[in-house]
Formats: sequence, C-alpha cells, structure tokens
Amino acid sequence: MTPPEIVELAPSAPLPRADFLQIKNVCKDYRRRGAPPLRAIDNVSFDVTEREICVLLGPSGCGKSTLLRMMAGLDRASEGELLLADQRITGPGRERGMVFQSYTSFPWLTVRQNVEFGLRVNGESLAIKEGTADYFLNRVKLGAFADVYPEQLSGGMRQRVALARALATYPRLLLMDEPFGALDAETRWQMQELLLEVVTKEAMTVVLVTHDIDEALFLGDRIVFLSRHPGRVKEILTPEFKAGQRLTTKEALSDSPGYHEMSKHVIRLMREEGETH
Amino acid sequence: MNVSDPAPNRPVADRPRWFDFKQELPSSTALMLGVGGGLVFLLAWQWVGVSGQFPRQLFPPPTDVAAALWRLLQESNFAADIWASFVRIMLSFAIAAAIALPLGVLMGAFASVGAALNPLISAFRYLPATAFIPLFLMWLGAGEAQKLALLIVGVVFFLISLLMDNTLAVRTELIETARTLGASRRQILWKIVLPASMPAYLDTLRQMLAVGWTYLVVAEIVATTDGIGAMMMRAKRFVHVDEIMAGIVVIGVLGVACDGAFRLLRRLACPYLRYQR
Repeated sequence: MTPPEIVELAPSAPLPRADFLQIKNVCKDYRRRGAPPLRAIDNVSFDVTEREICVLLGPSGCGKSTLLRMMAGLDRASEGELLLADQRITGPGRERGMVFQSYTSFPWLTVRQNVEFGLRVNGESLAIKEGTADYFLNRVKLGAFADVYPEQLSGGMRQRVALARALATYPRLLLMDEPFGALDAETRWQMQELLLEVVTKEAMTVVLVTHDIDEALFLGDRIVFLSRHPGRVKEILTPEFKAGQRLTTKEALSDSPGYHEMSKHVIRLMREEGETH
Repeated sequence: MNVSDPAPNRPVADRPRWFDFKQELPSSTALMLGVGGGLVFLLAWQWVGVSGQFPRQLFPPPTDVAAALWRLLQESNFAADIWASFVRIMLSFAIAAAIALPLGVLMGAFASVGAALNPLISAFRYLPATAFIPLFLMWLGAGEAQKLALLIVGVVFFLISLLMDNTLAVRTELIETARTLGASRRQILWKIVLPASMPAYLDTLRQMLAVGWTYLVVAEIVATTDGIGAMMMRAKRFVHVDEIMAGIVVIGVLGVACDGAFRLLRRLACPYLRYQR
C-alpha cells in the first residue's frame, strides 16, 4: 500500500491570522433551583492565532472543557460570542474537528471506515474517501491496521484513530479535550510527540485542553491559564524557552533552559487556585 | 518464569476451583455441566414417575411423554399443529417488533417523543394481557386476529420500553463526535444510534420472543382448532397428561431454538462484538 500523493499544505500561505479564532466576552451561567444562576465562566476573551497550538490549562472546575465545547458548537455561551475566521460559531460543523478524552471510535466500523465517516456523511466521492483515510492512517502510523475493528486496538491506537478521523475532513480548527488523559504515562508522551509531528505537518490550528502542566509546556505555542469558580483568564503564557520552535521529543523539554522556571511558575498558579477553595 | 524450568509449580490460578465469583469456565466444562443438569432433572422425573407415588396417568415419566410425542407426530398430524403455532408466534412477534422498533427508537433518541409517550406505554405494561381476551373476542371475533392480537399485546409494551432504554444507552460522545464530523440528524439516527444499539436491540428481541412463547397456550386455549395449545386442550379432555407434557416440551424446544437463532443473528449482524473486552 503506497500512500497517495498529497499536495503539501502550503506553509508558504499568507501570514497566519492572529485573530483566527476569537473568544469574545464569553460567559456561561448554570441555572439552579432556588438560587441565583451559577457563573461557571466569566467574561473570557482571547484570540487563537492561525496554525498555533493553544493550550487551555487550569484546575478542574475552571470551565476549560466547557469553553472547548463552545468552540465545537456543542455548548452555547450564555453571553458573548465565538468567531472562527469572522464566522460566528452557532453549532457543530465539519470545519471544527474534535477529539474527546473517552474513546469515541465507532465499534461497528473498521478503523478505515471510522476515519472515512466524516467524509461519507458529507457525500465525498469514494476515491477521495479512500485516499484521505489511508493518508491520515499513515500519518498516525496505523496504516497496517486499516481493516481491523477499534476494539482490537490499544487505548493509544484508538486515540490515533480519533485523531485521524478528526483530521480527515480537513477541519480549520482541531479541538482536543484531554485527549491523552486516559492513557498510561509512556503512551501519553509518545502520543504527544506524534500529535506535534502531525499537526505541524498539516499546519493545523489546535486548541487543546489539559490539566497536565508538562503536556501544556511541551505542546503549547501559547498557554491560556484559567482560574476557577468562576473560570477567568488568569494569565496567557508563551513558553519563551522554545524560542518560537516546536520541540520534537519529550527529552528536549526537560533539556530546555527556562523550562523549569516556567514549570515552577505554572505550579504556583495551580497552587493559588487550590488554596482559594 | 523460566521456560526450561523442569518442574514448574502449578500456578494457583490454574487449579480448578468451584464457586469462585465470576469464574470463567472452559466451554467443554460448561457444556458438560449443562448436559449433566438436564440429565439429573430427567432421571429424577423418571424416578418419581415410575415410583408409584403418583398415578402414572397424572404424572407420566419422560419415557411416556416421549412415546406420546412420537404417537402425536405419527397419528395426529401434530407437525401441522406445531407449524400453526410457530407461524402465529412469528407473525405476531414480527408485527409487535414493527410497532415497537420505530416507537422505541424515537422515544429513546428524542426526549420530547419519550416524554409524550412513555408514561402511557409504561402504564400499559402493567395491564395483564389475558384480561384483554374478552375484549378481543368481542372486537375481533374468535378467529385468527384475536389470537394474534393477544400475542402482540403480551409483548409489545415491554418491547417499546426496553427498546427505548437500549436507545437511551447510546453514549453521548458518539453522537457528539458525529455532529462535529458534520453528520445531519437523520445521519446520526441511521448511522450512529441504530448501529450503536443494534446488539442491545437483538438481545431485547430475543428475550421478548421468549415471553411471546409463554403466551402461546393462553392464546390457543380459546376457540382454536389447531396449534400446540389446542392440542393440549383436547388432551386435557381425555386426561392425556403425557400429551400435555409433550406439548410443553415442544414449546420449550422451539423456544430454545429461537433463542439460538437470535444469538446467531446477533453474531452475524455484529461481527465486531467478538473483540469486545
């Protein structure tokens, strides 16, 4: 099986837009019986640059997953709005792919059929379906497993299927909700390296939610740290120690000068959140 | 463990132990135990039957029942009765399933449909199907329609409820994933909800078909000339207990055969299930 020839997604394209994804004054209230509504997310605003990996980091209860689900169009903001390339996000759509923490492979479909799913429901032709599915399966190193069922795969492999499936519709934005949270430590960093490789090659814009500080520092071009009760942007960090470059291995992270200082800083931010409650 | 170890100690887990919780039995052992259980039952029945404790005519041993069955098949065209009952069960169950599937699926998939219909259908489950016999006799006469109606009413409300529960059990993440891949509502229903619930639907149908068989004799007692139940009523008039028991045995065998057929169908329709852990 030879991977089909794919036109390299142009890294030479026009300059990335700094306001590719705009989160504008977003609030989320939950109604409660016999009590005023609970504000879970309070006036959050930030922009995500085209082709960057933006990590949403914060303690549990900071609303980072809810914010991501709003970007996917699965949840609605109570106030404020979200815009992708100036288009208001009103519901889910194929231009915003999502990878969940839990395994979401469709067990009744083979790995290839899983990856083809998004193309099939959008009425793509057979040739495009097969070529694209195989291309992305090779990208996530599952080319040899195209015809098995997801249940036959390990957890890490299933998350790779989910990644390939989300990428196969060529979304403009890839959303990941603690995608490696259910994996063991070793698989986890292998997946982080693979993710960096794939999204860099595909020039993908990524928003990834995590509560793992090392994961945030390793993957993020920028890190939005959210405080909790209610969720607010506490600090936006740029890992300067990477000097605008992406790392390729986990070892490179701990070797980077400046990594430890930043890690310590983020741990302090986390601790402050813990102590206030 | 060293492979060349000449006398390895037998691991504790390999020692066969009875009455461990959730023990996995080798299929040969399970078969042996199943056949053994049946044999013990037959032997005990035979012993009680020939012991003279009870009049043999009222409590015939299995050998007498087997002889009666043979006689019925040879002399009374019992095969036609069996066929008539089989057709009744299959036709009524097909109608019940055709009513229950769309309702159950829609009630489980859409909360509004569920809220509108579930209270009513739940209540209907508590009405004894046999109480409908006089009504059906007045409405439908003493013909075939009355029997089918009883067999349908006996299972249809349970079927709807169970199929709704099966549909509700589809994981939300699977539906949300499909939405982020651009699937329409219709596509989610046909390509996610139905295949995801298929194994559970087939289990429900299998269980409720068994319940359907239990209504057979009741349905065939009233104004019927053919069928297993009618034969049993004729036998009662002449105190042919052996023939009544032969009828019960035939129903049991047919029920088990239907069960096996549904299990086979489930395996064929959902081949991926054998990989499930």
